[in-house]
Amino acid sequence: MAPKIIRDLSDSSGYWAAIWTICPMPDVHVICDAPVGCFNLVGTAVPDYTDAIPHIENLTPATMTEQEVGGKGTSEKVRWTYENLRDSGALEGKRLIVVSTAESEMIGADHTKLVETFQPGTTFYYSNSLSEDEWTGRDRVLRWLWENYGARGGELGASDVLQPSVSDPQARTVNIIGPTYGCFNAPSDLEELKRLIQGAGGTINLVYPYEAKLADTPRLAGAQVNVLLSKEFGQGLATALGQETLAAPFGMHETTAFIRRLGELFGTQEQAEAFIAHEKKTTLRAVWDLWKGPQSDWFPTSSVGIVAGQSYAEGLARYLGEELGMPIAFVGARPLRPGDPDNETVRQMLHKRAPAFVFGSINEKIYLSEAGARFTNFIPAAFPGPVVRRSVGTPFVGYRGAVHLVQEIVNRLYETLFNFLPVDGAYAKNGAGGPPAGPPQPNAPGNLPWQPAAQALLDAALEKLPYIPRISASREFQMKAENLARTQGIAEVTVEIAEAALKQ
Amino acid sequence: MTTTIPLETEKGHTCKLHPQSMCPAFGSLRILTRIEGSHPVMATDTGCLYGLTFVTHFYGARKSILAPQLGSAELMSGQMVEGTRAAIEVAAREPGVRLIPVISLCVAETAGMPEELLPRRVGNAEVVLVRVPAYAIHSHPEAKDVALAALLRRLGDRSSPQEPKTVVLVGEVFPADPLAIDGALRRMGVEATVTLPGRSLDDLVRAGRAGALAPLHPFYKQTINLYREWGIPVVGGAPVGQTGTYAWLKALGAALNLDPNLVEQVASEERARAQSLLETKPLAGSTILVTGYEGTELAYARLLVEAGANVPYVSSSIGQDPLVFPDEMWLKARGTREVVYRKALEEDMDALDRYAPDFVLGTTPFAAEAKKRGIPAMYFTNQLASRPFFLSGGMAATVGFMQQALGMGERYQTMQKFFQ
Repeated sequence: MAPKIIRDLSDSSGYWAAIWTICPMPDVHVICDAPVGCFNLVGTAVPDYTDAIPHIENLTPATMTEQEVGGKGTSEKVRWTYENLRDSGALEGKRLIVVSTAESEMIGADHTKLVETFQPGTTFYYSNSLSEDEWTGRDRVLRWLWENYGARGGELGASDVLQPSVSDPQARTVNIIGPTYGCFNAPSDLEELKRLIQGAGGTINLVYPYEAKLADTPRLAGAQVNVLLSKEFGQGLATALGQETLAAPFGMHETTAFIRRLGELFGTQEQAEAFIAHEKKTTLRAVWDLWKGPQSDWFPTSSVGIVAGQSYAEGLARYLGEELGMPIAFVGARPLRPGDPDNETVRQMLHKRAPAFVFGSINEKIYLSEAGARFTNFIPAAFPGPVVRRSVGTPFVGYRGAVHLVQEIVNRLYETLFNFLPVDGAYAKNGAGGPPAGPPQPNAPGNLPWQPAAQALLDAALEKLPYIPRISASREFQMKAENLARTQGIAEVTVEIAEAALKQ
Repeated sequence: MTTTIPLETEKGHTCKLHPQSMCPAFGSLRILTRIEGSHPVMATDTGCLYGLTFVTHFYGARKSILAPQLGSAELMSGQMVEGTRAAIEVAAREPGVRLIPVISLCVAETAGMPEELLPRRVGNAEVVLVRVPAYAIHSHPEAKDVALAALLRRLGDRSSPQEPKTVVLVGEVFPADPLAIDGALRRMGVEATVTLPGRSLDDLVRAGRAGALAPLHPFYKQTINLYREWGIPVVGGAPVGQTGTYAWLKALGAALNLDPNLVEQVASEERARAQSLLETKPLAGSTILVTGYEGTELAYARLLVEAGANVPYVSSSIGQDPLVFPDEMWLKARGTREVVYRKALEEDMDALDRYAPDFVLGTTPFAAEAKKRGIPAMYFTNQLASRPFFLSGGMAATVGFMQQALGMGERYQTMQKFFQ
């Protein structure tokens, strides 16, 4: 079989999944069996850009050096790290979990037995980082947490740390499973989900792991309904819990169905219907008004490309494509579904013809830069990529998500139009106002004739652009070509002149 | 490559639990992705690839990065080399490709990446293997050196006639700095300067013909060794501050056999200019901790001390080396109590307790800890790397920035009180 080549990896590994799932819980400390880089990237460098936290404080590396890799193994280093953490007081009132990394797995380090000699209840999590990606990794570690700290939470001893209170499901209570660190836009989506659940008549039992303690894990059993923030992971835990599971809804119709279903499950149908009716008059009113206004007329001619986590990819395609009627140029989910374009394919598509909007990660943004696609609006919708999303005002899910998305799109369209308005030539020369069309040459009034082949070249170039900027782009190219012809003293626009102008 | 990180400091009580360095390999990626026509291939596991691609796309270049899939399946069936070769083939199809650096990281180095099984050249592109396992390199700056030395060894032009009056300046510096240094050196009789690492592959080629190497940062050990191998003189130190600039210009003049009168004239002018800037001791009365991971901390500390600051504590993630001794000695003779190499967060925190600084230049986690206490702090790398630093002009910019920063104390306290 031909070797598989990765272009600009979109998904992290099982090790990242483990750290980013476990560490949001404040009553845990994690030792990662890692070289300095695996510690720094996961604990400081990247979460500073994905979650805007300066560093993960409950993570300590058993820093691996050449000695450990070269045959000594990492047990001694892990033990040394544990003892110093313990002596420094960092482990007081905390559960310790030791997590493997790709490099520790590479040298065959398994600390299952070693951790039994540490403080009671210490566990070893084999992150399987040489095989698992972040999606299967997050799913598996959530199940593992439930199995080890929830379902049989008391068996691990140290009952002063974990006080399991497994209870029967309480009516009208909901767990939200996910998010973890490194989940794009999670604070906003979480806020909106809570609002919808409460609107339908429910209360939140546990947001796991983001707003939970490890000691809360047994309480997962106490909810009537589980809601997955992302379809990409969490199903394993939800299945183990055994209650009805719903996925976070995108767009107006799915959200309405979501609220109705919760109403049915809670026996609060009337409240749910009243909430939906009220939302239509309040939160969603902006969508209705923009739909009635001229803004929505642009949707059918503004194409969209989407690369994002599965929930986002499917949700965006459904809302923007089916509900608003925007043409969907391509959709790529992470993890890839059968037939989805991989990064290599997405890159080629964007180089060839970029849609009016691209929702994606920094990878797609780079491909747009390579293509010089300055007429395309890029909207962050996935990691990797540095973007702060800690405000709760930018949801993609639910009714508020529907409003936020349509507002964002309309504002971007306004921006596109603004950038094409002419700036007076005297200032445009200074680079003001984006691409300067430049004034016509003063000594050459009137239009220049275009050779048919030059005209065809212009048409072909415009055809590749998103629809809305075409009018302005057409004027810009035309002026450039004619100015160029005049400067060269040519009386008509030739193919060569048109080519040169298009390259400018 | 065989150094080990001591687990405890000399004092024997501060545990080095949390080392402070960006993944070392990023240092090499930063350099390798910024070169025009360079299309990198990374050999590593997916977790590493994700993190390093992330930071490279943020801080390195808007450049697509290729890698062979390298999980248990591929490693167990011995497909690492085959996969890497296939990724090289894909990179070789990029428009304008001239260089394919193969960056071999922890997992690939543990499995053993055999250089002899990789092509040396594909089409128009040189294929250069750069080995940067984090477990052996230890710090981000030192990986820059590994990458640069690998590139120079392959690309440096050693067959054409030497350009005896050309100087190679080495170090990632603010773009205006080399222009200022070039200006001063030309006045002394230098004909040209080349700055590495940079965007141009041809600069690497030309660097092999140079008359002297001037590493502006003290961690370019392999690069220095290579120039020594080539018999090209190396001028240590950097044109920093009043005394540093004078000494550096004189040393460079001597290494290149420039007209001593001319050199003395330029060096004295620079010294006089620096002196007039420092006369008022603009930072007098302030206590500053300098605790980055870039390997340039000692030089910055020197400048701050000349400007009147009290810098009791300096820490870096690079290792101790003869190249930094002059700066360390200079600092210790002027009030610096501790210089820590291969530092850990715990050591910096300990210093924060002991020295009550007015301002902290630190890594992200350490600066965050200082801000938590209401102490003005900034991330060393972002703030200092974005300003001129060398010669009298750089000194004015850096000292001016520090003056401004020192005036911000109250705001940090207000913020801290609000969130307490």
